Amino acid sequence: MSDEEMEYSDDDFDAYYEEEFDRDVDHVDPQKNDPEYFHVACLTDTEVERLLNESVEQLSNSIQVTPSLAKLLLHMHGWNQMEIVAGYRQDCNRLLTTAHIKPPTPPQPSTSAQQGDGETTCPVCLAPMSPDNSSHLSCGHMFCKDCWSKHFEVQIVHGASTGIECMGSNCQVLAPEDFVLPLLKLPRLREKYQQYAFSDYVRSHPQLRFCPGPNCNIVVQAKECRAKRVNCTACKSQFCYRCGNDYHAPTDCETMKRWLTKCADDSETANYISAHTKDCPKCHICIEKNGGCNHMQCCNCKHDFCWMCLGCWKTHGSEYYECSRYKENPNIAHESAHAQAREALKKYLHYYERWENHSKSLKLEEETLAKIRERIQEKVMAGTGTWIDWQYLLDAAALLARCRYTLQNTYPFAYYLESGPRKDLFEYQQAQLEAEIENLSWKIERAEMTDRGDLENQMDIVEKRRTTLLTDFQQG
Amino acid sequence: MAAGLPRRIIKETQRLMAEPVPGISAVPDETNARYFHVVVAGPEGSPFEGGVFKLELFLPEEYPMSAPKVRFMTKIYHPNIDKLGRICLDILKDKWSPALQIRTVLLSIQALLSAPNPDDPLANDVAELWKVNESEAIRIAREWTRTYAMGN
Repeated sequence: MSDEEMEYSDDDFDAYYEEEFDRDVDHVDPQKNDPEYFHVACLTDTEVERLLNESVEQLSNSIQVTPSLAKLLLHMHGWNQMEIVAGYRQDCNRLLTTAHIKPPTPPQPSTSAQQGDGETTCPVCLAPMSPDNSSHLSCGHMFCKDCWSKHFEVQIVHGASTGIECMGSNCQVLAPEDFVLPLLKLPRLREKYQQYAFSDYVRSHPQLRFCPGPNCNIVVQAKECRAKRVNCTACKSQFCYRCGNDYHAPTDCETMKRWLTKCADDSETANYISAHTKDCPKCHICIEKNGGCNHMQCCNCKHDFCWMCLGCWKTHGSEYYECSRYKENPNIAHESAHAQAREALKKYLHYYERWENHSKSLKLEEETLAKIRERIQEKVMAGTGTWIDWQYLLDAAALLARCRYTLQNTYPFAYYLESGPRKDLFEYQQAQLEAEIENLSWKIERAEMTDRGDLENQMDIVEKRRTTLLTDFQQG
Repeated sequence: MAAGLPRRIIKETQRLMAEPVPGISAVPDETNARYFHVVVAGPEGSPFEGGVFKLELFLPEEYPMSAPKVRFMTKIYHPNIDKLGRICLDILKDKWSPALQIRTVLLSIQALLSAPNPDDPLANDVAELWKVNESEAIRIAREWTRTYAMGN
């Protein structure tokens, strides 16, 4: 790396990773083989602070401003040093004004009331102040130090830090760190101020994210903001780097958000309607079943029908057991709006039930794992192989969990996918994946020593199906 | 005046009494020097003309680092004032500056009566009418002024 390149933090970041990869013997691009590949670094707050301070120092040296003004500028410009340096060279006045470091118009001579002996009055507390116990920002608004302290205290208690402005009315000049900190008397407040400011800096940094895990202080660093899986090394939580919610490939963040909102809004009502009501096949009024008998008479049009198959009751007779079969309604376009709404609900429920089912299966995974451990123990005690021989079963269970997770997340994707060849292909691959997953699940439950080759073969097939689906329908 | 009251509040109160703002009176409560009984006269040329509007103004513990709390006690038909008398005014919220005073706040409220701002509404139904049928809104505001803000 040349000296020139060393100037920018991005390259330090590269160096951080390159070191790691250079040790690999074969230089295979992992991104080609694994559609879920995403490299991140889990940093502690000390490491993040070091990273931020390096940027601050570089900028402060290259445009000759104090470190705390450099910090303010970086925060305002999403930590883009190039942009700031370019802006500074072009029109430094404009850069400092838009960042609220300098006032839009040069400061006026002090407006506070002059008293006879040259002493002035603080416009906030109206007490006399001398140059020693007063201070101002670049805008020239002079206030006594006690008032500044009180102002900062109130602002910090309300959660402000990097956004604290001058006390002057209509003045938007920001108070930089080196102005605020010396005026904070209580160590507790200083700590709070620094903590809030740190959060603000991480949030404004495009390459940093707080780990969403409860009480986790890790900051995740990635080069690009993509909807990829992150595993926090500290709290072990898994999440999508882009949206911070549960990882959701192949569905993209926005679709997932829509889906979850829909589920939260609709599922209760939808479940009730689906479980307890049907439309009259003749007049399409919505009917709630309130008794056990399947012979229904519509209270609106007096039509007699079967609750199970919705066929006319008169011709029902001998075919009773046929009506447990689900028949697709081909005339949907001609049905009433009400029936169409029900069809839409049916479609939603189809995807929702599968989504829910896989989510439940995943939760049962812990139990499966415990059972497998128990079985391994038994086998080893009975002399059928050693503990090491059986490790592959645990790998298989982990793979099964990973596949079920992906499968679960294919349902919101399919729900919002428009009908057409792409959806056909997707649902084909989804069905293939599902079938192979069930196959794997069956084989894991019945694994004996001799089946190992077969099971490992199945593991390979399932993972290939999963990566194919993810590669073909990769988003974001 | 109560002991321990900040110099700033004492000075502001003295000045409000000595040089009152035209059309506005603000008198501290006998038992609480941080609580003011305010009366604002409806500005000339506005639909509130002739009305006398009572407000309460309270200086919180953090004043002047935090804005005073102000509320209309008299019912008023205004797009930026809701049924409870709460006022939508930027300097009472995020635009507050410790350099502002009770006096400036009251002047701003008086100005708000002269120039309602239906594009930044607090009372949505009022703002809506103010936008689609201004003359009708002004008529109602006059009627409310007569009914609630005159004669007592």
